[in-house]
Amino acid sequence: MTNLIEVVLVLVVLTDFFLLGSSRLAACIRIVAIQGVVLGTLPVLGHLDNLTLRLVFLAVGSAALKAVVFPILLFRAMREANVRHEIEPFVGFIASILIGLGSLAVSVWVASRITLPRPVVSSLVLPVALFTILAGLFVIVSRRKALTQVLGYIVLENGIYVFGMVLVGEIPMLVELGALLDAFVAVLVMGIAIDHISRSYDHIDVDELDTLRG
Amino acid sequence: METRHCLGLILATPAVGAALCPFMRTQAGLLAWALGVVAATAVASGVCIHAVFAAGPLRVGELLHLDSLSAYHLGVMMVVYLLSSVYSIVYFHDADLGRRDATRYTALWLGALASMALALLSNNLGLMWVGIEATTLLTALLITVHRTPASLEAMWKYLLICSVGVAFAFMGTLLVAAAGSKAGEALVWTRLRDAVATLDVATLKLGFLFLLVGYGTKAGLAPMHSWLPDAHSQAPAPVSAIFSGFMLNSALYCILRYVPLVESATGGSGWSHRLLVAFGLISIVVAAAFIAVQHDVKRLLAYHSVEHLGIIALGVGLGGLGAFAALFHTLNHSVCKTMGFFCAGRLGQIYGTHDMRRMGGTLRSAPVWGTGLLASILALIGVAPFAIFMSELLIVKAAIDGGSILALVAFLAAGAAVFVAALRHAIAVAWGRPARETAFVPAGLLEVTLVVLPLGALLLLGLWLPGPLQRAIEEAAAVLAGGTP
Repeated sequence: MTNLIEVVLVLVVLTDFFLLGSSRLAACIRIVAIQGVVLGTLPVLGHLDNLTLRLVFLAVGSAALKAVVFPILLFRAMREANVRHEIEPFVGFIASILIGLGSLAVSVWVASRITLPRPVVSSLVLPVALFTILAGLFVIVSRRKALTQVLGYIVLENGIYVFGMVLVGEIPMLVELGALLDAFVAVLVMGIAIDHISRSYDHIDVDELDTLRG
Repeated sequence: METRHCLGLILATPAVGAALCPFMRTQAGLLAWALGVVAATAVASGVCIHAVFAAGPLRVGELLHLDSLSAYHLGVMMVVYLLSSVYSIVYFHDADLGRRDATRYTALWLGALASMALALLSNNLGLMWVGIEATTLLTALLITVHRTPASLEAMWKYLLICSVGVAFAFMGTLLVAAAGSKAGEALVWTRLRDAVATLDVATLKLGFLFLLVGYGTKAGLAPMHSWLPDAHSQAPAPVSAIFSGFMLNSALYCILRYVPLVESATGGSGWSHRLLVAFGLISIVVAAAFIAVQHDVKRLLAYHSVEHLGIIALGVGLGGLGAFAALFHTLNHSVCKTMGFFCAGRLGQIYGTHDMRRMGGTLRSAPVWGTGLLASILALIGVAPFAIFMSELLIVKAAIDGGSILALVAFLAAGAAVFVAALRHAIAVAWGRPARETAFVPAGLLEVTLVVLPLGALLLLGLWLPGPLQRAIEEAAAVLAGGTP
């Protein structure tokens, strides 16, 4: 099973890089959705010998949220705001990929220095979690469109999801459901916010949201 | 029915109340409904708080837990919410929101109450996080009741910065769960406290750093405070009042939950205390610098929040008497700031601006609100005999007792700078010449009460601390010190 898990983790890293290097928002929304589905399989793959109904239920629920609900909300926001591309981000796409490579190296190094309280299915899990968190944060601070920032936030949450699996194994059901619900509401509210912003500004460029200072 | 089942009522009442909002027809009806639901929640809270201080912590299974620390915070929250719900009626009296927006406003208002109550009542540290994150999302849309471009900008910053901050707090929560994996059911606060010796100290410390930065962002501690002045200044005044009066405290409360765990696990090394002192002092100094250059009265009050949350963190960090002083300060600051935003909001409506250079002579044109704003700024900068002066004095005493001379000097220097800067603003607003002639605006009985009641409480608490309140604060401080209540 470890092989399959490692394939999944490599896929997650590839989706991160795709997000860092792509300017087409539609493609970015799809790639983040794919990342959500891929991540959803992880807890199932990790517990193939002792699958519980609860695990399957949560995996299906989170995959449905990330692969169906989020894209619907985001595509709608994209249409309403009438944007297609991330144009001239604060950090260029080539530079973003290079920074991504750098943070991957950092993640691997940091992960090698942390001693985990419990055995992990694959030594790749922790570096991938850290890298995904860093990639999400980087997208949030380096992109101009509010919509891309939302994508960065979803990737950040994905990274924390993997991180939690490594650290805790089984998070209590209620907490996990609560966290999923919060993620859903977060994307919903951000979608509403983008809609409102595009109506009163005719754009969703966050660098032009700068009237409040001091 | 046992008293502990009232804990469920505290959560259910506002949640159900929010769900029923669409059935109300008018704006006045909605705002009255909100007040009624908040009052009912306050009654349930009152019963529980009384039971906690009379007979010890209440518990429902592993899920809900109300000890003296959370009961004290619950009390402060209900005071702030009750006052602000009454004020909502005054504030929106002449403004027609439209039924749709009014419904959204009251539903979110009550939803935010439910989620903050969840953060206070949950024994599970993961659910506590869920409550805080839900608070962020629900209150984000409250900022844009007046849908101006500036309020949208403030809302976006608030939403993104706090969501990312709170995501860090979730990582911290996970790290604490990992540190407590030997304690069995991870994340249950009472279990972690009882099994504190089995916690993995290094992981716990790493987790606390994430929690401090994460929840600290939401609590408005510098340098993570950048969202705060924007959100506070753009939100309608009743929302600013609950932001500043309790939402910041609810995030700080989450940090306080972890302090006794970290301190007992590290054998009382004072590691977490030193971090709190550092963040507290940075907040006080940064706020002092920004207060000097403010022209917008609501931004001025917002930076005062950064300062006072810093003072609370400083007090907890100093330990001993400092923890008592910090909790006392929490009540004083919340009451005072709530009233301050009430006055700033109404004066903003009367003058049509929040620019202090254009709203001179408030004492003449709107004596009630003008007096309230002047008094609240005087109280905030620590003028005796208001209660804030007393709690700050206690913090100074705690610093001297603990030998933290550096902290003392920084605190006093920044306090003096704030005093001079804010006093200049306050005098100009109270007695200055208005930019254009403003007609005298009379205030009704309700409005007078909203100023006199908090102001009277601040004066009274400054002169005399009632016995039951003092014992309540002492018990809450004992939880912070790691004692079993």
